[in-house]
Amino acid sequence: MSVTSATGTMRIVRPRRVVRRDEAKWTWLLIGVIAVILLVWEAAVSWLHLVPEAFLPPPTAVAASFAQLMVDPEFWSAFAYSLSNVVIGLVLAVVVGVVVGLAVGWSPVLRFTVAPFLWLLYSTPKVALAPLFILGLGLGSESKIALVFLLAVFPIILNTMEGAVTVSPSLVNAGRVYGVNGLALGWKVIFPATLPYSLSGIQRGAALGFTGEVLGEFLGGTGGLGHLLEYAAYQFEMAEAIAMVIVMVIIANLTLLLISTLRRRLAPWYDDRKIAGAP
Amino acid sequence: MSTFLASGPNLGRSGGVGAWLAGLSPAGKAGVLAVEVVVMLVVWQLVVGVFGWINPVFLPPPTAIWQGFVELVSSGVLWPNLLISLQAWLIGFVVAAVIAIPVGLLMGTSLPVDRVVGPIAWTIYATPSIAYQPLAKAWFGFGIGPVVFLVAISALFPILLNVAAGMRTTNPSIIRAGRVYGASRTQLYRSVYLPSTVPFLFAGLRQAVVLATIGMVVAELSGSAIGMGALIIKSVNTYQTDQAFAAIAIIVAWSVGMAQLVTLVERWVAPWTRTGRR
Repeated sequence: MSVTSATGTMRIVRPRRVVRRDEAKWTWLLIGVIAVILLVWEAAVSWLHLVPEAFLPPPTAVAASFAQLMVDPEFWSAFAYSLSNVVIGLVLAVVVGVVVGLAVGWSPVLRFTVAPFLWLLYSTPKVALAPLFILGLGLGSESKIALVFLLAVFPIILNTMEGAVTVSPSLVNAGRVYGVNGLALGWKVIFPATLPYSLSGIQRGAALGFTGEVLGEFLGGTGGLGHLLEYAAYQFEMAEAIAMVIVMVIIANLTLLLISTLRRRLAPWYDDRKIAGAP
Repeated sequence: MSTFLASGPNLGRSGGVGAWLAGLSPAGKAGVLAVEVVVMLVVWQLVVGVFGWINPVFLPPPTAIWQGFVELVSSGVLWPNLLISLQAWLIGFVVAAVIAIPVGLLMGTSLPVDRVVGPIAWTIYATPSIAYQPLAKAWFGFGIGPVVFLVAISALFPILLNVAAGMRTTNPSIIRAGRVYGASRTQLYRSVYLPSTVPFLFAGLRQAVVLATIGMVVAELSGSAIGMGALIIKSVNTYQTDQAFAAIAIIVAWSVGMAQLVTLVERWVAPWTRTGRR
């Protein structure tokens, strides 16, 4: 495996470096366009008064609220509350999802009997169950953790299953030839081969889990980022609300970045783009 | 889905059951699945309805859900809510498609547009659309507006990014071949880019159906007085969870049905894409 990964990284790294020098110019263009958009926004709101300020506050006001949030202890406790719920739910979902996904992908009988139901549950908009979770588990953290778990677990199961099914049979056979069997085969051959798939499932699961947490907070309870955001919007403090949305955008994109970095670290032999487009 | 049933390397040592299942005809497989569904429903009914191991308020048995559905229909609450939801969904989805397809095509044709719109679109796409819901509520009020907005913003980016990816991944050797044979710009777009982008477009639409439904449910659950989401909230708050499950089942049917519709349209419009195999 190490040989494959070594050549793989070298092959990937090289064109990236060449490309990057050219990319710098596009980065500047992007920054320029964003600056122009912010400038037009600022001009339209605070200089030309085309839009009422209470409706859409100018970027400077949003930036001020953002800075204020960053030093607000209430914000950080809400942040910790939401994030700990998401992390607990997600860890449970990863453990269950990977184990179930490997088992179902591995066994033809399970694949035949269980997989259709998993597909059905996967394509169900399970967010609709949120009020039932609140009813069943109360307004505290439990209902939110359960919701995060429920929403996150199916993409992980399905992706892991897909990975386990598409493991190259020649790898398995090579393993068998060298006398690797049973659990060792699973750990040494199947698991590494499915890892990138599981990670892309975890990526989707994280986004859905975040949705579950925020929705749970919208529907009830008094803690968390979702509650803070909803309250700000309800009070029509739009600057603070937009700043909260920006916080969520940052969290979501950092999570994405973290997982794709993890994927590059743990499975460098795998081409990102091959599963990036998979629905 | 069919890949999971039909193909795949035989990783485990297949026992008797596995071999028997693999050897079944498609009709036989469908039959086994149908039997399974019936068994599941019977077990569910027994566990909740007959033995009462689970509180039926939290998980009503299938017969109760059916009764809930009948109640919803006969009391006349279903149709107005359903119509509002479907209207919001369809408007949002059409708005998303109308914006996303041209912009995606533009991203595919022009590198500067791709490099500027791409990162912004990915950033917004990566964020669960629920984050924008309170803003939508503050801006568009309590009616159908925030629902349409959330459906549109959920559906927009998968379509846009898929179309752009389809244009970008058009096989360069076919493009060169077209050029060699003297294809004009329009001809190149019509006969080379379009056929290779269409499968991506439909993949994007299918993803968008799922995300749009999630967006709709999220928007209606948190802050809408009418629509399927509001109906679910009302039913749960009055402990009529059987009606809530019936409403959820209708949403599921809608989501699955629309995804199937997209696939059907794809087969009809673009038979060369082989979606049947998935």
